[in-house]
Amino acid sequence: MNVLWLAVRFSDSSLTPSLACWAGQFTPRVSIAEGALLLEIGGCLRLFGGLEDLRQDVMQGLAEQGIAARIAVAAMPQAALWLAEGGGDSLDALTITDLSWPAGVAEKLTRFGLRRLGESRRLTFSALARRIGKPAATMIARAYGEAPDPRPDFVFPLRFDEAIELPAVVENASALLFAARRLTAALAGWLNIRQAGLRECRLDLIHRQGTTPLPLRFAEATRDGNRFERVLRERLERLQLAAPVERLRLVVDSVEALPGASGGLFDEGGAKESMAALVERLRARLGEERVFGIAPVAEHRPECATRQASTGGVIVASVPPRPFWLLAQPESLAEVAGRPHRRGPLHLLAGPERIESGWWDHEEGIGDLRRDYFIALTHDDRWTWVFRELRSPGGWFLHGWFG
Amino acid sequence: MGAVAMLPDILARPDIWRGDRLAQALLPTVASGFAALDAELPGGGWPRGALTELLVDGAGLGELSLLTFALAGVREAGGWSLLVAPPYPLHAPAWVAAGVDLARLAVVSPASPRDALWAMEQALMSGAPRAVVGWAPYADARALRRLQVAAVAGGALAFLFRPTRMATEASAAPLRLQLAGDGDHLAVRILKRRGPPLIAPMSLAIPRPARLRRHERPLASRPVLRQFAHA
Repeated sequence: MNVLWLAVRFSDSSLTPSLACWAGQFTPRVSIAEGALLLEIGGCLRLFGGLEDLRQDVMQGLAEQGIAARIAVAAMPQAALWLAEGGGDSLDALTITDLSWPAGVAEKLTRFGLRRLGESRRLTFSALARRIGKPAATMIARAYGEAPDPRPDFVFPLRFDEAIELPAVVENASALLFAARRLTAALAGWLNIRQAGLRECRLDLIHRQGTTPLPLRFAEATRDGNRFERVLRERLERLQLAAPVERLRLVVDSVEALPGASGGLFDEGGAKESMAALVERLRARLGEERVFGIAPVAEHRPECATRQASTGGVIVASVPPRPFWLLAQPESLAEVAGRPHRRGPLHLLAGPERIESGWWDHEEGIGDLRRDYFIALTHDDRWTWVFRELRSPGGWFLHGWFG
Repeated sequence: MGAVAMLPDILARPDIWRGDRLAQALLPTVASGFAALDAELPGGGWPRGALTELLVDGAGLGELSLLTFALAGVREAGGWSLLVAPPYPLHAPAWVAAGVDLARLAVVSPASPRDALWAMEQALMSGAPRAVVGWAPYADARALRRLQVAAVAGGALAFLFRPTRMATEASAAPLRLQLAGDGDHLAVRILKRRGPPLIAPMSLAIPRPARLRRHERPLASRPVLRQFAHA
C-alpha cells in the first residue's frame, strides 16, 4: 500500500474542526496543517473507486458545503500542501513566491535568484540550510521525500459537539439549511470514524438571547448525511424563527455501533428512498406520533388487541373473524323489538361470541368487559361488528366495520 | 431507404393502444385475486405506477377485502405497505388474519387533509413502499393529478378512496372503480379504464366473516345494477 496524501487548502480557519470531522468519511488518518487539512488516502483509494473518483467526491463534498478550497495529491504531505497552494502537478515548477514559508524565507530565496522550487535542488541540504535556515531547508527536503515528515493525526472528538458562526444573521428558517449542511456533513464523517450511527441528535439555533433546540429523530440508527439533511429540511420548513439566528450547534448525546457501510435495514432494490428514510421524513413534518406501525396483542378485549408499534409483534392464536376497523368509541345503537337498529334493522348473522375479560384492570385502561359480540349486516349491505352490553345499563353498540 | 413499417407491425407494438381493446401490459400489474375483476382490468390486475381510485361511501362494504390479496402479495415480495389517513383505527388481528404483514405496514394519521395529500404524494414519489392506500375525501382534481404524477414516478400500487359523489368529477386516475354493497358480494363498476368502457357492473364474491343465507338478506334479492341507480 502506497501512502498518498491529499491536501485540502481553504481560507476560513474556523472551519478546521468541522472539516476534519467531515474528512473522516474518507479516511481515518486526517492531519491538520496551517490553513489546510491532510488526508492520507493511499489506504482507501480502492474503496472509493480510484484517485479520480475520490478527488471528485472530495470536491463535490466541499462544494455542497459552499467551501472554496483547492486540493492536490502527492506522496509527501509537504508536497501535497505546496501543490494545493501553487497549482499544477510538478513540484519543480512551483513558483517559490506562491508558497507559504517561515517568515523571510521567500525573500531570501528570490534574492539569490531562485524563482522555481526545482532550482533550489541544485544546492545541497547543508548549503541551503546555511542560506535560508534549517526549518525551511527541511521543508524542501520533506517535500521531495528526503527527510521524514511525521504528522500528528487529528484526534476525532469522543463526543460530537460542533458549532459554526453564521456569516450573516439569518432570519429565515429555510436559509439555515445550507449553513447546517456543514455540521451534518461533519457529523456524517465523525460517525464513520466512530463506526457508529445515531437515532437522535439536536441542532441548537443560537440567537443573541436564548436558544431554540431542534431535536432530529431517525427511524433507525444511521450515519447518512443525506438523511440528516432531509429530516432537517422538513423541520426547518415548518419552523417559525422566534429571533434571528447567529450560530448553529449540533450536539450528539448518544450513538450506537453501526458497523460497515450499511445498505439499510429496510432497503429494497430499485427504491429511490428507503422506507426508514421516508418514515423519518414524514415524522419530521407531521409529528412523531402521526406515523406508526401496528401490532396485534394477545388480548381478548378488542380494545386492547392492537398496539402501536414501530415494528411487528407477537403472533396471536387464530380468533373468530375480526373487523379491519375498530371504532375508537363504540357507537350506541337503538334497540327496536330486541334487535339493534342503525337507520334500519341490523341482521345478526353470527354470534354471540362472548368476551368477558379484564377484571384485573379496574383502575386504568378500559377495565372489565362483559359483552356478546355479533356479526351483523345493515340494511344497506354493510358488514359490522356489534355487541350487546351485558353489564347494566346494557344496550347495543356498533364496534367495528369488516370492510 | 429503410424498411417501411407495416401497419400490423405498428399495431403489435406494446405502446400502441387501440381504443376498442384493453391496454396490454403497459404497466406492470398485480393480480387482485378476483379472476372476474382481473379479466376486466388492463394488464390483468391492479396497475403499479398509476393511481387507482376507489369510490365508496362509508365503511363495511368489503372495500378493504378487495385489496387484501394484493397487500398480502406485497408482503410476500418483502415490500412495505403504507396507509395514509385511514378513517378508523386499525384492528390488528383482522389485518393479520387477512395475510397483511403488520411488521411491514406503516400508518400515517395526519392532522389535516392537506398533510394527508402531502404524505401520500411523498410516499408515492419515494418508491419506498410497494403499496400506498390513502383516504382523501376532499381531494380535488389538482391533487389527484399530483398523486398520479407521483405514482408514475415511484411505481408503487396506489389506491385512493374517495366518496361516490366524486364520480362525476374529472380525475387523473387512469383506473376508477365504484363500489357498492351487494349482500355477501361486492358490486364493482369500472367507471374508467384504459380500454373500452364497461357498462355492466360486476358482482365479486369476496371473503365475508359470516355466511349469508338467502332469507336473511335485508331486502329481497336485488339486481346489481340497482345498487348504482343513485350514482
